[in-house]
Amino acid sequence: MFTSLFLAAPVEVSEQDVVTPFEQTLLLGLVFVIMFGLGAGLTPKDLFLALKRPKGLIIGWFTQYGLMPLIAFSLAALFIFQLPIEYAAPVAVGALLMGSVPGGTTSNLFTFFAKGNLALSVIMTINTTIWALVMTPLALFIYGGLLFANNPEWQIPLTNIVVTIAVMLIPVILGMTIRRFSANWGALLELLGGFFGIFFIAFLMATWVPRNWALLASTPWQVYVAAIGLGLFGMAATYGVAKTLRVNGVDARTIALETGILNGPLAIAIVLLTFSGTPDIGLILIVPAMYSLFIVIISTLVTLRFRKSNLSEEQKIPNLL
Amino acid sequence: MTKRPWLDHYPSDVPHELPAVPFKNVAELIRKAASTYGKTTAFTQVMPNGMNGSLTYAQVDLLSDRFAIYLREVAGLKAGDRVAVQMPNCLSYPIVAFGILKAGLVLVNTNPLYTATEMTHQFTDSGAKALVVIDMFADRLTEVLPKTSIETVVTVKISEYFPTLVNGVIRATQKYFSRTIPKIKVEHTRFGEALAAGSKQFSDEKLKTYLASVDSSTVAALQYTGGTTGVSKGAMLSHGNLATNTLQLISMCGDYMRPGKEIVITALPLYHIFAFTINLLGFWHIGGRNLLVPTPRPPSNLKRVFENYKVTWMTGVNTLFNALLNERWFIDSPPKHLRASAAGGMALHESVSQRWREITGTPIVEGYGLTETSPVLTFNPLGGQGKDGTIGIPVPSTDVKCVKEDGSEAAVGEPGEIYASGPQIMLGYWQRPDETKATMSGAWFKTGDIATRDSDGYFTIVDRKKDMILVSGFNVYPNEVEEQIAALDGVLEVGVIGVPNTGSGEKVKAFIVAGAKPPTEAEVIAHCRIALAAYKVPSSVEFVTDLPKSPIGKILRRELRAQQIASTSNKKG
Repeated sequence: MFTSLFLAAPVEVSEQDVVTPFEQTLLLGLVFVIMFGLGAGLTPKDLFLALKRPKGLIIGWFTQYGLMPLIAFSLAALFIFQLPIEYAAPVAVGALLMGSVPGGTTSNLFTFFAKGNLALSVIMTINTTIWALVMTPLALFIYGGLLFANNPEWQIPLTNIVVTIAVMLIPVILGMTIRRFSANWGALLELLGGFFGIFFIAFLMATWVPRNWALLASTPWQVYVAAIGLGLFGMAATYGVAKTLRVNGVDARTIALETGILNGPLAIAIVLLTFSGTPDIGLILIVPAMYSLFIVIISTLVTLRFRKSNLSEEQKIPNLL
Repeated sequence: MTKRPWLDHYPSDVPHELPAVPFKNVAELIRKAASTYGKTTAFTQVMPNGMNGSLTYAQVDLLSDRFAIYLREVAGLKAGDRVAVQMPNCLSYPIVAFGILKAGLVLVNTNPLYTATEMTHQFTDSGAKALVVIDMFADRLTEVLPKTSIETVVTVKISEYFPTLVNGVIRATQKYFSRTIPKIKVEHTRFGEALAAGSKQFSDEKLKTYLASVDSSTVAALQYTGGTTGVSKGAMLSHGNLATNTLQLISMCGDYMRPGKEIVITALPLYHIFAFTINLLGFWHIGGRNLLVPTPRPPSNLKRVFENYKVTWMTGVNTLFNALLNERWFIDSPPKHLRASAAGGMALHESVSQRWREITGTPIVEGYGLTETSPVLTFNPLGGQGKDGTIGIPVPSTDVKCVKEDGSEAAVGEPGEIYASGPQIMLGYWQRPDETKATMSGAWFKTGDIATRDSDGYFTIVDRKKDMILVSGFNVYPNEVEEQIAALDGVLEVGVIGVPNTGSGEKVKAFIVAGAKPPTEAEVIAHCRIALAAYKVPSSVEFVTDLPKSPIGKILRRELRAQQIASTSNKKG
């Protein structure tokens, strides 16, 4: 049980309250399917093409692991740390973790709706997911060290995180293998993964939000800024970087969506698996859960805007014959 | 018979005369291939995300037999009745088209993008008794059907014959996400039900009787044409026309069409005569596999097709080849197994054909023909000398000549209207004897296209005859004038027409869409004087914001003339 006293969050939260065991199992199952679909979205040809012109991929890698953790760190340092440390520390751990996980599969779905470069989106997700083994712990180590320089009792269990990510890579590889042998199953699983990503959000809305209403209502505005700002500033900054580096419009928008939409389910799964038993787990989960909710709204708005631009740049040919 | 200088340029494996066609009708051609290639995959329909479904030769053969029985026994159609078919490229198409031909009925291909007015015209003009239509467009029938004699409507799904789960996902997407399946308010039978009904009454005897009196002179299809030049009319293509033209084009390709080995992209619509004869009948006959693409718009829809299949052949129009050459994924990874490509439908630009050869490392050749000629008349020989910018040489058993205004044959290099004769020339226009008469000169079909022939027998299109301008008795071809003006800086697009003139009969007028730095009228005229004879130089130039165009981007001079006439009469009025 969480017993510390603090002013900003008068509601007591426990692991049981925040996520029930049933939800835990279901969430992990969902994450598995989502990662499976992610792998199924990649074809060897797309991989070949991406490696042939790796500019977008490299920029995406940089924005994902260079920009996002930095934005998360800045938001935590500027806003969350205005709050009492007992509350701020676990929430900031969640925020840092959220900013350090790879891209999510919902970004592929949004890219699809936005008429962006789907192949690039999928490959970026897979690329950042594989790199997560190294980069997520590294980002947490660096920014965690900076953030908690004065609170050495706050340690992020990096080994656990590496193991969790490694396990999550298995379904990705399985999915890729299936795509290789059946275009039909590949396309089906790809769709399924994307929709489960959306389902995950719907699930959060339907069960988690009402039950944690008091928690959300009493959450200080600083945490909202962090949870919303991470995706929004992430997309804006990435788009700026990509355009500065002369990436074409469609790809720049694809990279922006891809970078800004993080793998929320994965972040939550990592929290559940690595902080299990920690009394503060409820607070660690706040930013990942809130991010996952708000990113849908942000992404929808951004997608509508991007779709317009992408459509105007699509190669149009008249009806043939 | 005229001289055939082109015969010297036939590759060694192309016969000068086509051997006697071994089929009494197209149904026999269809059955022959089915019995030879039974278990081979005949058709694979590929959706933009790679989802796909396939049918083998034997399956298509059996299913089209059942559909033939359905049409005759259940729908009660009689020999020679017309059946309209309106769908994009999908697995149902070959079943439906083959079923109609096997039933001794007449196929009326209809563009699925037609408006209610256009549909009504085509259905009433052909007198169609039945319609097989894709459900996505069937909502227009409420308005159209009462005005026609259509009694039976069969609806097909885009995902017909896809694996169950994939079919389910596609249907769900169409129903709930893209909402492309309207409510159909007219009485109709689903394709699956129609086939089941056909299966119940199946008998080989019946199938035989349907074809008892169907021979090479029986009408197989009414192929509508002339939509851009006024009233659309149905070209009567016989079983002989279609079977012969199929064999003519195959023989012209020689070793490039290897029996049982080709995989061809069919991105052009099968309801058009080009893809119908070349892709559907031609590649079916040689045991090829047709990759059916419902729509190549946007061109990225072809990405998964090239990725997942070892494409050896491609047919297309200039626009499509050019579009692919503008797609990065295509240039980065051009198809490895491609052997040849054929272009038709409109002029293949030399820049496009050159670039296509560079990128793919394979030949691309241009051919020529019309709906009325089933369609192939000429082709650049794949195995021989191809000449860019020309439409090639006539296919075996075909005569082509250029005829001048006075009716005499044009000399080498001299422009004249293309006349063609051969076994692929249509029987005539459906119920329009006057139009048929006007377009035939004995056994010769007058194409309305002006061309020149070189000494080797290769033809080059100059222009459409009806666009020709007559200035004081001299012929001016708008293409030639347009080319000159288009070369000027600041000119984006140009259309040239003749306008009535009391002195010279007609005079040349140019309509120009200008770019950032438009040339003056005087500059345009001065530029034309350098390269063109005086009578060809425009006497006036008008700058406009846009030009009327056909769906495939051709400038419609007919519309320009109409606009011109309307504006002059307005001024007078």
